[in-house]
Amino acid sequence: MNIFERLQMLDRRWIFLVVAVAIIVPLIIPFNSKTYTTEPTEKLYRIIDSFAPGPDEKPIEKDRALLLVFTHDASTMPELFPMEIAILRHCFARNIKVFTLTFLPSAAPIMDYAINTVKEEFPHVKSGEHYVNFGYKIGALMLPIILGMGEDISEAVDIDAEGRKLSSLPIMKNIKNYNEMNLIMDFSGSSAGGAWIVYARSKFGANVGAGVTAVMAADEYPYLQTGQLTGMLAGLKGAAEYEKLVEVFALKKREFSRELLKDPEYDNAITNPDIPYKFKQARIGMNAQSVAHIMIIVFILIGNIGYFITKYKEKQQG
Amino acid sequence: MKRSIPLAIVITLGFLFVGYVFIPHKISTDFYEWYMEWIKAMSPFGVVLGIMSIVMTHSARIQHKVPNWQYSIVTLIAMFFTAYAGFAWGTQEGTPFMWLFKNVQMPMGATMFALLAFYIASASYKAFRARSAEATVLLLAAIIVMLGQVPVGVSMFGEGINDITHWILNVPNLASKRGIALGVGLGMVATSLRILLGIERTYLGGGE
Amino acid sequence: MFEMISNWVAAFLTLCIFSFLYKDNPFYKFAEYLFIGVTAGYTIPLTWEMAFIPYVYRPLFLQHKFILLIPAFIGILYIFTFNRKLNWLSRYPIAFGMGMVGMGVPLSMHASVLVQMRGAMIPIENINALLVFIGTITILLYFYFSKAHTGAYGKIVKVGIWYMMIGFGASFGYTVMARISLLIGRVQFLVADVLHIIK
Repeated sequence: MNIFERLQMLDRRWIFLVVAVAIIVPLIIPFNSKTYTTEPTEKLYRIIDSFAPGPDEKPIEKDRALLLVFTHDASTMPELFPMEIAILRHCFARNIKVFTLTFLPSAAPIMDYAINTVKEEFPHVKSGEHYVNFGYKIGALMLPIILGMGEDISEAVDIDAEGRKLSSLPIMKNIKNYNEMNLIMDFSGSSAGGAWIVYARSKFGANVGAGVTAVMAADEYPYLQTGQLTGMLAGLKGAAEYEKLVEVFALKKREFSRELLKDPEYDNAITNPDIPYKFKQARIGMNAQSVAHIMIIVFILIGNIGYFITKYKEKQQG
Repeated sequence: MKRSIPLAIVITLGFLFVGYVFIPHKISTDFYEWYMEWIKAMSPFGVVLGIMSIVMTHSARIQHKVPNWQYSIVTLIAMFFTAYAGFAWGTQEGTPFMWLFKNVQMPMGATMFALLAFYIASASYKAFRARSAEATVLLLAAIIVMLGQVPVGVSMFGEGINDITHWILNVPNLASKRGIALGVGLGMVATSLRILLGIERTYLGGGE
Repeated sequence: MFEMISNWVAAFLTLCIFSFLYKDNPFYKFAEYLFIGVTAGYTIPLTWEMAFIPYVYRPLFLQHKFILLIPAFIGILYIFTFNRKLNWLSRYPIAFGMGMVGMGVPLSMHASVLVQMRGAMIPIENINALLVFIGTITILLYFYFSKAHTGAYGKIVKVGIWYMMIGFGASFGYTVMARISLLIGRVQFLVADVLHIIK
């Protein structure tokens, strides 16, 4: 029995151990690595950034807003939470009006947690002026609310998570329906934009973006091509890309430019102590992801070499 | 009678909703607002169903002393205590209710799915074999996409790996997913039509 | 101090679940059943607060919209699902919710079929557009089972199979990424939030 054949017999718990080491080591020994941005992420960044008030404009007067829909529970949080943090950071840094909403009871605390985590770094940001948490609405109301917001958001949502009438909040000034709340970002582990594409986009022409777990990412390309999805953040990598875009452009109040992204100066975030951990969590995670992907590829190769050797031997023995 | 009245409700409401999509008249929006108010008033009772199901399943397990029945006590106590915490001390940030959710429910929910990483690694070692030309293509596409997602892929193979990944996702992958999506889309429309026309009735359950 | 205890509780439960990797054991079972209980218990007060109070109690008792007694009564009929003799009553709330399917027909037709077909029929200006077109057609032909996949037709649908294999490969690559990411999230919690090894 040669080494490859013996490796075939290995107890899977040894494989589990290798996986654990491959993930833990790159996380506790940080190193810088380059984040390459992709088109679906860049598109989202640019449309969200276009909602920012101009230098002479009062943020409260702005007639554009973004809705973040949290359609996931804790199980997919490692992939989706860093995206939500990065987009909220973008909104708060650029005074973009942002709303949050969920139809899942288990997503409500995640929503609070995301807002509070980012708000700590932006003391000027106030609920009702810069953002509103619409809160948790029961699942049966999903379609009525999606359709209702096409006519009047304040009426469809009625009260926010703090029990205030939406129509009484200053942020709602100049925001009536999907004409103003022009982008819906749905973060989900199961239905990228699903009902939002079918109802809000088909009936009212709203723009829909998706923050998806990587499992679903490949399935969304037909919708990206038709424009039914304006853009997409795919898994931890999508989050890492957005983290970088926010740092390079939004925080420095610069226009998007691909040239600037090539500058290696912007790829030292991981070891930069000035950037809080929560804002580079996805990029740190991508280091472990690198090691893990190589590990999986090596596993596939070793497994296949063993398989072909066994097959060859069987053939020879007739 | 027990089936035909609910069926008539579905068909009538169904066609009114078809009208709502196409006719932007006050009557259709009035209908819609009426429906919304009513469906909202019905919505909380659906949750009762789920809770009843859990209570019945686990009490039956305890009653019949099936293997590992003791754990069902854990489920029931946890359920009642969490609900009690919500009613007694509120559901806001900083309450025992939220504490339970954040430190008990969330970490366990996330870890359940994290286990899959170990199993996919073990499967890639023991099960993913290039047994045929088709399987080889599948594995190659997978390996390229995996490399294209991570920074180390570019360090090893240059930026070309990003371009190839981009091409795979936007050309053959797009075509394949579109073919499948069209099939699924037509299936969804057909199922909705069957419900609307009263041909599909399984959602009404068994019995007369 | 309180945060530390909270994190240690979460870490203990995380490790209980991970212990399943070694083998099934009482710690894992305890965590699994606890998880189901807390998840179910969590929805009860939230439904009360977010649905019952604003949509039933308030309109009925404060605004005196007594007509809403009818839908509330229909909603209560849900609970007869578990009664063998009266379970036909639970069909009423189900039927009421199902009515919305009427809207799904035209809108799903638009979103899932028509727009996708339009996307497939763009002018073939470059090789990639041609490849996408060939792929879409051959896959649709593959799913047409009324004709045997033999002869020239069989060769055409074979092209569709190759396309699908690449598509499945891409999904598989992404799935590996997703699974690993979830584990990374838990390890980050253990090493950053609990053990404070990274900051």
